[in-house]
Amino acid sequence: MIEFDQEPPRRQFETLIPLINVVFLLLIFFLLAGTMQPAENVAVSLPKGALNDKERDLPSTLIVEADGFVWLGDRVMDARLAGHFVKQHLGEEGARRVAVKADRDAPAEAVLELMEGLREAGVEQVTLLTERGS
Amino acid sequence: MASLTPLIDVVFLLLIFFMLTTSFLQTQSLAVVTPAPSVDELPTDARVIEIWLLGDDTIAIDGQPVTREALTESLKQAIGERTDLTVTILAEKGSKPQALSAASAAARQSGAKSVGTARVERIAR
Repeated sequence: MIEFDQEPPRRQFETLIPLINVVFLLLIFFLLAGTMQPAENVAVSLPKGALNDKERDLPSTLIVEADGFVWLGDRVMDARLAGHFVKQHLGEEGARRVAVKADRDAPAEAVLELMEGLREAGVEQVTLLTERGS
Repeated sequence: MASLTPLIDVVFLLLIFFMLTTSFLQTQSLAVVTPAPSVDELPTDARVIEIWLLGDDTIAIDGQPVTREALTESLKQAIGERTDLTVTILAEKGSKPQALSAASAAARQSGAKSVGTARVERIAR
């Protein structure tokens, strides 16, 4: 009769250590590779672009939804009124530079209309946000 | 080794937190010129090259249709040595921001003296 060697019973923690290793690795990966962004209440899919001006710390972001409405913070308004509203809401100082996040399905004339309004409100520089790609 | 379990619990929690809150989407920024108050204020003499953003989501340079990928090259060719030109981006009703950002980027890279944008109801072809 063949006799098999009985495996000694493994202790529990030995089997856990590779798991912990992997989980730590994943944790460090997400810590290093990801960037944290404040949550926004409107989800837009940005147009793709190749140029990057690397503008940082833009004080305020306007979001143009696919239906052409414009969000500033948690307020929604028509593109035509946005310039006036930005001026009122951000004051003279905060409104020099504005970032615009336009959905790729939004009408371009809404974006231009918004930019016209911003120009009248004294905004000196408008920055379109895009996604890397072509 | 029961003391490992709480550690694993916490590490898992942290892992799930970072998985849910991080985003890998890299946004880029493109500084654009603000449009003229009205179409009439844009220069209309011969030293202007117009990029048309048409309503059917196509792009044309002075009436010649181009693809979005070839826009920068075509615009450079159209301008050639005449860098005192003004590039005007005309957006028709129904055009998309994708075309607008592509046109702005191309106009900037083309070396033209100045860039203007305007929106029109319909471009007369």
